[in-house]
Amino acid sequence: MIEQPAAVRTERVWKIFSQEAEEVRAVRDVTLAIAPGEFTALTGPSGSGKTTLLNLIGGLTHPTQGRIWVAGQDVSQMSNQEVAQFRLGHVGFVFQAYNLLPVLTALENAEFPMLLQGVPADERARRVGELFERIGMAGLGDRRPGKLSGGQQQRVAVVRAVVSKPVLVLADEPTANLDTAASEALLDMMLELNQELGVTFVFATHDGRVMKRSRRLIRMVDGAINSDETRS
Amino acid sequence: MAHLRVIVVLALRNLRRQLRRTLLTCLAMIIGGALLMFSLTLGDGTHEEWIESGVRMGSGHVTIESPEFRSSRRIEDRLSETARQATERVLASAGIAEQVQTVSPKLVITGLASSAAGARPVQVMGVEPRAESSFSTLDDQLVEGRYLESDDRLAAYVGIGLVESLSLRLGSRLVVTAQDADKEIAGQLLRVVGIFRTGVSAIDQTLIHIPLETAGEWLGSGGDVTNLGIIVEDSSAVSGLVVRLKHALAEPIGDGTTIVMDWREAMPQLSAAVAIDDFGNYLVYGILFIIIGFGIVNTVLMSVMHRYREFGVLQALGLTPGQTGGLVLVEGLVLTAVSAVIGIGLGIFVTWYFFGDGLDFSALMDEEMTFAGVVIDPVIIPLFRTTRIIQALAFILSIGVLASVYPAILAAKIDVTEAMKFDR
Repeated sequence: MIEQPAAVRTERVWKIFSQEAEEVRAVRDVTLAIAPGEFTALTGPSGSGKTTLLNLIGGLTHPTQGRIWVAGQDVSQMSNQEVAQFRLGHVGFVFQAYNLLPVLTALENAEFPMLLQGVPADERARRVGELFERIGMAGLGDRRPGKLSGGQQQRVAVVRAVVSKPVLVLADEPTANLDTAASEALLDMMLELNQELGVTFVFATHDGRVMKRSRRLIRMVDGAINSDETRS
Repeated sequence: MAHLRVIVVLALRNLRRQLRRTLLTCLAMIIGGALLMFSLTLGDGTHEEWIESGVRMGSGHVTIESPEFRSSRRIEDRLSETARQATERVLASAGIAEQVQTVSPKLVITGLASSAAGARPVQVMGVEPRAESSFSTLDDQLVEGRYLESDDRLAAYVGIGLVESLSLRLGSRLVVTAQDADKEIAGQLLRVVGIFRTGVSAIDQTLIHIPLETAGEWLGSGGDVTNLGIIVEDSSAVSGLVVRLKHALAEPIGDGTTIVMDWREAMPQLSAAVAIDDFGNYLVYGILFIIIGFGIVNTVLMSVMHRYREFGVLQALGLTPGQTGGLVLVEGLVLTAVSAVIGIGLGIFVTWYFFGDGLDFSALMDEEMTFAGVVIDPVIIPLFRTTRIIQALAFILSIGVLASVYPAILAAKIDVTEAMKFDR
């Protein structure tokens, strides 16, 4: 049997920022592996390096040192052009501020990665329609983001992240701007998608509700992994 | 292809998103485009008028003559009979004959005109009256009497300046003296049948038209001519015609007895005047469109700065840096293309509708104005040329693309993680 590569693997990753004369070590010597289908939370206080590590894994920034593999491919060695193309096929993002494109409707935002991939219109409509139905957004597809609540926008953002069936979804504080009910609904939805589609989720979060649902908690302090706990 | 479609949709919606800003920039470019077309058509009309006037008063759109004739103006430097016959055969051939409107054979020499009142240096032009009447506008500038006719023998058509300085009048006799074909001084009695005024004093004081046949008999040159002037149907066909004539007359050109010149070579002053005027116009258009270009830079740059975070999101979602820059370029290009088409269309329409019959500047001219040996007509008729429309369109589009390059590079080179933190 061929062993499936880890969804994410990092090896001695460092990210050092230069701020004026000072060096800030945002991520320090992080080595970890996340298996396909995991629902993992990176936790820790503000400034502990969670978001930076998430950005490194997603190829949004390059490590100062060390290497990162996503689905077996070394994203740390890719050019900006290559890593953007890699993200399109393999990585979905959910941001704290939703970040839907204001000139597109909810439906167009959700199908955006598939538009870039050149997926035929009927296939796009089928996949987005199915997911919109599941998350209670049916009938709201024609609305622009400005006409949706925060919870609705974040649900659209989650659909956008998973609709093209990526290997990995990286979510940076996805519940930070939502009320309790909206947060609970969103997390339930993400957990369902994780279980049904087998998509790997990695969160950067302070939110106890996210941590409660995560099967693995990686705690970071001062840019380094302080603890790594897997729950049954 | 899928990316291109997405980029175009995003570009169009982004332009609509800041509608007021987009419309204001479009308006500036539309006005610029309309002014450009108005100015180009008027400029081309002016130049065409200068050229038309110049070639008809001078040696034509194309002249065929002996290489030494232009500087010597001597009768021995006339066109050889062989060259003339070869030229006439070529001009009558298919493919060339259709382009030629008129051919006027001329025998031009310098000499001395005298009357009881005195003597003046003159330029005597022996012409075939019917051909010259169709070639030149001199017959239209008649003040008194008539132009030469085919059966005239001793008739002279004289400029008003010469008439005044030699105290001539209609019917007066004058004698012209010049060196003949045998290098002997020969005189010819003439009678004034018509008086003209061109407004160009150098012409009015020196030019005399006489029948070619009379000139041949007087100077012993028979039917020889010093040059063949050609007027073409469309002045833009001159270069092509010159190439074909040079090819067809390769033999006499090769043996050094004949040259073919277009009006630019034959009338360098006029050519320079057109070039200088064009340069001045292009300078003004350049300055105008640099200002408009900054307007486009401002609009596109503002739009990029405003959407810094969005560009980060787009790249996080899989749009490459090149495609992100492409999106900004497409926005600039769409903005420019739409404005250029409307502006150029508007410019053509306004010019044609309001000034199609000509723009009269006579109120600004106290008296007849001459320039580079050409009388300036105070009424300028705009000239519409397809090539000019294409040039204007290409020019405005280039400005639009150039103005969008810097914002596009900025958008392509964003730091995605920094852009995601950006909060406008």
